[in-house]
Amino acid sequence: MEAERRAPKSEALRALYWRSEILQLLYWLRGEGLGDLVDPPLLERFLGVDAATGLRYLERLTDDGYLDRDGDWFVLSAHGLQQGTLEFAATFSELNRPVRGDCSADCWCHVSGEEAAACAAGRGETTTDEHAGT
Amino acid sequence: MSTPGLDTGGALDPPEQPEAELPRSYLRLCLLLMLAEGPSHGYELLEQVRRLGLRGAEPGGLYRSLRAMEREELVTSCWQMSQAGPPRRTYLLNEAGHLALRVSVGSLREMQRLLATLLDRYDDLVGQVGPTSRP
Repeated sequence: MEAERRAPKSEALRALYWRSEILQLLYWLRGEGLGDLVDPPLLERFLGVDAATGLRYLERLTDDGYLDRDGDWFVLSAHGLQQGTLEFAATFSELNRPVRGDCSADCWCHVSGEEAAACAAGRGETTTDEHAGT
Repeated sequence: MSTPGLDTGGALDPPEQPEAELPRSYLRLCLLLMLAEGPSHGYELLEQVRRLGLRGAEPGGLYRSLRAMEREELVTSCWQMSQAGPPRRTYLLNEAGHLALRVSVGSLREMQRLLATLLDRYDDLVGQVGPTSRP
């Protein structure tokens, strides 16, 4: 599946990648009022990961305390919800960065780290390595 | 009146309720347009997509499309905190997304021109073959 090909190749990074994808999906479903529960077929529909692989990651997240299991279904645990709050903060800060699209294409901030820092300072924000690398 | 030598074999008879075969990229185009109109959330996008003709659109497909558009840096998202309920993810179109929309609309306009030519020829043909209801 395409989603599997896109995921990192090393098992450790792969686990982190799917943890993030699955947790984000659970928060998204909650936010949209589409329920709190997921199962492997739902992961397949939403994330494009085959059900057997999805189940493996769901079980792993359950073992790690992010999810609680109820039969075939999985739900965010209190720890998983707390982790989500941290991820919200991280994602929100992404928007505060000057990234592609925030500045015009000819802005000097795309050229070097120093220029990125100067640009961010001018906008009253802090710069990041990602921005400096653009 | 019929055209000599033209045996339509009923092939020109229109189906009762023709189903529009929308291009595979139609969902993405809808999302680009809706987000160009303003930031939005998943469920609102789903409802609007259905109103634009994708009546069978389901949340899974929408979610995957939005994630793909984020990876392609056409769309940015953030979690919007709410007093009343859980945080919701808000999607915004960025500069690359606006450009992608302009390109897609240009392509659609060309397709519209070609289809109009084809339909005119079809109407001419049907006019020659004889009276029939227009699909």
